[in-house]
Amino acid sequence: MSDADHTDTTAQTGSRDRAWSRRRLLGTAGAALTMSVGLAGCLGSGGSDPFETDEPQGEPIDGEGVTWDDLGDLEGELTVYSGRTRDQIDPLFAKLEEFYPDFSIARDYDSNEAQLNSLVEEGESTPADLFYTQSSGALAALKSEGLARTLPTDVQDAVPENKRDPDGEWTGASGRVRAVQFNSDTWSRSELPTDIFAYATDERFAGEVSTRPNSGTFRSFIVAMLELEGEERTREWVRRLLEDQDVTLYSSGTQQAEAVANGEVSVGLGNQYYAARIIGNQPDAPLDVTFTQNDPGSLFNVSGVAVLSGAEKPNLAAEFVRHVLAVEGQQFFVDTNGEYPVVDGVAYDGPLPSLEALEPPSFDLNELGDLEPAIDLLREEGMTV
Amino acid sequence: MQRLPDRLTETRQWFGERRETLSPFYLAALLLGGLVAVLVVAPLFWLVLRAGTVEPTRAIELVTSRRTVMIGARSIALVLGTTVASVLLGVPLAVLTTRTDLPAQRLFSVVIALPLVIPSYIGAFAFVSAFGRHGEVGSLLGLNLPQIDGFAGAVLVITLYTYPYVFLGTRAALRSMDASLVEAARSLDAGPIQAFRRVTLPQIRPAISAGALLVALYALSDFGTPAFMGVSVFTSAIYMESEAFNVGYAALLSLQLLTLAGVILLIESRTGRASGQTARRRGSPIELGWLRYPAMGLVGLLGAVTILLPVGLFLSWMVRGTGGAVPSLAFQPQHALNSIGFSLAAALVASVMALPVAYLGVSGRSRLGRLLERGTYVGFAVPGVVIGLALVFLGSSTAPWLYRTAPLLVFAYVVRFLPQAVGTTRSALEGFDDQVAEAARTLNAGPWRTFREVVLPEIAPGVLAGAALVFLTTMKELPATLMLQPIGRDTLATMIWAAHGSLYYRYAAVPALVLIVVSGVSMLVLLAQDESGI
Repeated sequence: MSDADHTDTTAQTGSRDRAWSRRRLLGTAGAALTMSVGLAGCLGSGGSDPFETDEPQGEPIDGEGVTWDDLGDLEGELTVYSGRTRDQIDPLFAKLEEFYPDFSIARDYDSNEAQLNSLVEEGESTPADLFYTQSSGALAALKSEGLARTLPTDVQDAVPENKRDPDGEWTGASGRVRAVQFNSDTWSRSELPTDIFAYATDERFAGEVSTRPNSGTFRSFIVAMLELEGEERTREWVRRLLEDQDVTLYSSGTQQAEAVANGEVSVGLGNQYYAARIIGNQPDAPLDVTFTQNDPGSLFNVSGVAVLSGAEKPNLAAEFVRHVLAVEGQQFFVDTNGEYPVVDGVAYDGPLPSLEALEPPSFDLNELGDLEPAIDLLREEGMTV
Repeated sequence: MQRLPDRLTETRQWFGERRETLSPFYLAALLLGGLVAVLVVAPLFWLVLRAGTVEPTRAIELVTSRRTVMIGARSIALVLGTTVASVLLGVPLAVLTTRTDLPAQRLFSVVIALPLVIPSYIGAFAFVSAFGRHGEVGSLLGLNLPQIDGFAGAVLVITLYTYPYVFLGTRAALRSMDASLVEAARSLDAGPIQAFRRVTLPQIRPAISAGALLVALYALSDFGTPAFMGVSVFTSAIYMESEAFNVGYAALLSLQLLTLAGVILLIESRTGRASGQTARRRGSPIELGWLRYPAMGLVGLLGAVTILLPVGLFLSWMVRGTGGAVPSLAFQPQHALNSIGFSLAAALVASVMALPVAYLGVSGRSRLGRLLERGTYVGFAVPGVVIGLALVFLGSSTAPWLYRTAPLLVFAYVVRFLPQAVGTTRSALEGFDDQVAEAARTLNAGPWRTFREVVLPEIAPGVLAGAALVFLTTMKELPATLMLQPIGRDTLATMIWAAHGSLYYRYAAVPALVLIVVSGVSMLVLLAQDESGI
């Protein structure tokens, strides 16, 4: 079933029961409004949870690699607030809908931050069952607002503790690492330092380095730097980048990666997948990535999921999470997004160096939920756009 | 204690000085207009609620910090720069297309007004990619063009995409004013500039200031352009705080921004209003002579820079880009239908709600009425993310049955864009001759019947113009749409956002072009309406 077909079906089934009251509400407003009523479309999930408990509906999930065939069948409609972009996650949703004809996902896309703010404002009355985000910081913040439910124990046990919430209120679904994007006409990989601090002090990078301070992963990176290196060193790093290196600040990851590819600035501290996508579109673009070693510059972060405390279908949501952690789900992230699996039983066979070879720093991802010290520091030093 | 006569005068000033303004009709308008004003201002109480969650010492520290003061100063400078530049661009262009013998005036009017249909974030993006340090125009021409960014870049781009507010209003005012007065002045040996200053300007000043008000409030609320140009203003600070999950700080900054908006509204209300002016006689046009060619060239250049540049960019995206297919980003006609449906609904609701509000603004010189009218403008000054979050909270907590349905989304648009309808409806009412209505009344037509059969047909062009403005700004709106859209009901704007944000540019091209074409059609409606008013 194509994506287009899917959207149309949910629109029809979702709106029918409420169309009448809306029509009455809008009353005499005429053709234009009638049109908008017709277009109003799917309103949250409707229906009730097909499952009675959040225990495994089929086999439990584990860290060894369980397949979709082993798990319980998904059915009904699940509402997901996604901070991940369509291209990164919609194919997985579509794949599951194809696998289970009686299952559909109402997707709501916005940025991580906007989704989290909405969830906080909505509280228990959220129409969403699940929050799917690309930053564990957003998940940790969700947890600290008391908006997440504890996941079933089999789900918790399937993921190593450094890739999920130790209290089991959220779990990582796939992993990514912060990277150094560089223009390969200007630099060769061997010339580039493997120490994040060198990018702030090495004179070769004056006027050449850029970053994107409004991104979630950048903020996570600063939180990690504060935690691992202390406030003084972090402040020094930020200040040096601003004052000595005249760092270029972008407000979009796209803009930044393109600027690196164009040679506008030859080094970009950011996410590796922006570079990957530009190369995907223009294979001859002079753009490449490298990684720092064992410092916050190569912070390992997870995208992940939490079942919301206000969910109408928490049990269906839990079974959905099992599917994400199963072999097909994990392999999807490797193949489609160039990400790392979080379940040990699924081997990584992508184009990047393995996590062991990368040497990201070890770090408790829940620390990423408290952004305030990092934001205060960036505000004080003026690294904002 | 005040003496009774004083208090009576004061009461009259609040409710209107003239006796007839205390008529049942006026009171009904006051009630309706008051209801509308309360409705559209209500979401802003959320700001107070959230700002109140910030610890007082922290709040004071934040509000008075050097950074906040700098941001405030920069926001004021941005608003001033954009507004002045828009007036300097919009007014001469309006004169050029109404008062001179410039050929193909309709075509040029369309070209001049069209930038309003292009979202300024798209304009900003086009400018940066075209004129950046390694921009496409520079590399194409082999030139090192001056880079457009920073504060000057933000002023330039916001001006280029909002000056039509000034142009459209001024143009309509010029068309409806009595040009024979100008001729009389000229026959008394006044030079063209003096005649313009002493005769024309006083008559079109309210229209200019109404347009300038929209430009100023838009500049204050725009997030995309300053962010793209790397300028920290209130909106970028608000976004930064809300993205860092500091919604309380964001609310606090929004309240500061609102204070600024209040000052702008106050200044605008002091610029004076013209008396009703209904005689529509056209004078003989100013002959341009050889000046017509540079004039045409200038308008052509403006069109090329503001319209062809982004459109060309989208077309180039469409042909380039070889990466894999992403079905979830593919254009579907449903996206366009969603956009059009929401925008039509917002236009309709805003026009209806604007009627009593605009009436209050013009009739009876009542302070309360004026205050209510001004009050409806604040939503236009507040960034969409703030209105969005306010309605997320209010909607989900007080009316869950409305939450994430089309009506609540449409309401969000009305909160944001109502002033555009109020402004044009108000201008139309100002141009309406009271005596006609009074004549109808003396013929024993009731106030409602008079309104329906005499007033409404007369002001219809203004009402429709307001509806068209609301329509085309709703087409472009992004943050509130993302937060409040019925789940899965994507619009052209949200699809552009999705494609652009994930670097799949070619998928942004089709929805962007469709958005421009559909909005362009509504712009034609707007201008045609204006023509028929002659």
